[in-house]
Amino acid sequence: MSRACRQAIHASLRERLLNKAIIQLNQVKTHFPYRKNWRGQPAEWLRAVDGVNLDIVAGECLGLVGESGCGKSTLGRSILCMAPVVSGSVLFHGKEIQGLNDAKLRPLRPKMQMVFQDPRASLNPKMTVLQILQEALFICPGFDHRRSLERSAELLDTVDLRPEHLFRYPHEFSGGQQQRICIARALATEPEFIVFDEATSALDVSVQAQVINLMADLQQRLNLTYLFISHDLSIMEQVCHRIAVMYAGRIMEVQRAQALFGSPRHPYTKVLRDALPVADPRQRRELATLPGEVPSLVHPPSGCRFHTRCVYATDVCRDAEPRMSVIDTGNWVRCHHHEHLQANDELKAQPLNRSTEIKETP
Amino acid sequence: MMKSNTSVSQPVLRVRNLKVDFPSSRGRVRILEGVNFSLYPGEILALVGETGCGKSVTAKSILNLLPRSGVHRHGEVFLDGCDLMKLSNAAMRPFRGRRIAMIFQNPQSSINPVFTLGEQIFRLIRMYLSDEIKAVQQRLNISGRAAVGQIAKERFEEVGLTDVERLLKSYAHQISGGMAQRYRIATALLSSPEVLIADEATSALDVTVQSHILKLLRSLCRRKGTSIVFITHDLGIAAQMCDRVAVMYSGRIVETAPTLSIFEAPRHPYTQGLLAAVPRLGSGKRLANIPGMIPDLANPPAGCRFHPRCPQVMACCKEEKPPQQDIDEQHQVACYLYGEHVPCLPTGHSRQPQGAIVE
Repeated sequence: MSRACRQAIHASLRERLLNKAIIQLNQVKTHFPYRKNWRGQPAEWLRAVDGVNLDIVAGECLGLVGESGCGKSTLGRSILCMAPVVSGSVLFHGKEIQGLNDAKLRPLRPKMQMVFQDPRASLNPKMTVLQILQEALFICPGFDHRRSLERSAELLDTVDLRPEHLFRYPHEFSGGQQQRICIARALATEPEFIVFDEATSALDVSVQAQVINLMADLQQRLNLTYLFISHDLSIMEQVCHRIAVMYAGRIMEVQRAQALFGSPRHPYTKVLRDALPVADPRQRRELATLPGEVPSLVHPPSGCRFHTRCVYATDVCRDAEPRMSVIDTGNWVRCHHHEHLQANDELKAQPLNRSTEIKETP
Repeated sequence: MMKSNTSVSQPVLRVRNLKVDFPSSRGRVRILEGVNFSLYPGEILALVGETGCGKSVTAKSILNLLPRSGVHRHGEVFLDGCDLMKLSNAAMRPFRGRRIAMIFQNPQSSINPVFTLGEQIFRLIRMYLSDEIKAVQQRLNISGRAAVGQIAKERFEEVGLTDVERLLKSYAHQISGGMAQRYRIATALLSSPEVLIADEATSALDVTVQSHILKLLRSLCRRKGTSIVFITHDLGIAAQMCDRVAVMYSGRIVETAPTLSIFEAPRHPYTQGLLAAVPRLGSGKRLANIPGMIPDLANPPAGCRFHPRCPQVMACCKEEKPPQQDIDEQHQVACYLYGEHVPCLPTGHSRQPQGAIVE
């Protein structure tokens, strides 16, 4: 997608943002019981997703990036009601879906689909491609055997596979082809929203490029909305309109893809960007590193979750939770010092002066 | 970064015409089809390629770590003038771990889960560093056991592991991936090996941890004079930390060159395709991809194994394997597009490319 095209899409996105959010998350918390007390009741919780606010606009591709164990996948599953959300609300087209029982969710399920990381593991080895696709088609109304056969062939054509592939088993395909079968299966129910959970991470570069291009084409053609979960920032920039950066169960920053790389507002985003090895030997540089370890999600740090590893952290960061500071519509950052960090682009890694640091965020 | 003496000094590791056959239900499968490369002292060589191209098999066959039943190896692997291919398992012992060390992709699973880290590193120290134990014993006037502990502590700190006492008592599952990989680096570099083979050493780690490990490997190996064969599928890592890059495709090294020239002027069509498929920050362009997929090794295409996917395929590519051509002293490529060597061809053949370069 060209830059101008993407900018145009973004401009229209901004307009639609307020009224056309397909998914709205409000203070979503997904906790898992971690340790039980003597009565067998959970005494400690693993806070995989801990208070996430996020809007996903119809027609956009929202990236979700973060280190392993930060809760990215759990957030993706929470949106699809596949993880135990303990509080908060998940709105799909403005309708609350969190807390609905299985029977009430079933009519909504076809509208929301997911593609997983390991295509080999997510395709049943005992079923042919046709059976795999039919399984998805038969939950939609009005599909008999013949119609599902036609539709399956059509679906394979959408993902650049041939109709004769219908009668093969998953192991007969390469990784890239298997991932395309997974995409075809996700498309079978004519969804509006698809979560790609590390869908290209297991693929080689050249195959990854094929799948990424296919995803972008499908999005334009079928007017889909994506949540693209990945740990790889460089691939995000190619596919996503907006990117959300997640750290230890919280979203730290949501920005337009290009702005995020050009001028990251949050120190964590900056580290993520600068730690990426760039495939250009002329741009050799010291790769950024983070001191310390990823914090425990059972006992997360107080205040800003990132303060234990942040080079700009001050007392405020330890004591107070930073609020969402809106940059423009739909883009925001959660950092006490983001204005200061933005002001001097080339920051020196030293703690901020105490007198300048207390800037209340709007 | 480029070592100016690479071209003049003797290679520390020289792999010549390495061929490996695996048995399969469909007959013998030739995984490696004549791999050639040299590793010079103090150099970091990247071995890049896609899944299934034979990167790991190359690494394992250097150390003879492949399963013995039915696997045939041919060729020569010279370390310091000694052909490792001719050695028996027992004769390999002084080389494995001591002179050629290896670290693997998944750090946690390459550590023995039933012994503590301490037990494992102590055993290695006793095996490899008996002289140093004595020296430490005399210097600090402590028992042998305490000296081993002291050395372990120093080596842990060298790789940036803190809280050593606790770590020595931990098992593999109790530590994070980054810590486990540091521990593996500490053990791999214990005996100051001449060659370190890092097989996708950072692929399972997060970017921020990965950058730690890369820095560490680079600085430690520079200090100890260890050369690294860095096996990776990430061209970013190759660009950022390696001196030379060897690109592998389907059991063969198709192009070898210093990092700068491979990224600035890739010659082999596969290298060109691979580089075009890498997502780059700020380009905003649609990714190019290589059409088709990697060949079936049980039934590989004749001639150049890349020809079914090659945009510049010629008639001769389908008949005979292209030999290594020298672009210059350090840049070799196995492709008929370059050099003068063309095999006997039917009349009427032209060397003009048949296809166009796809964007």
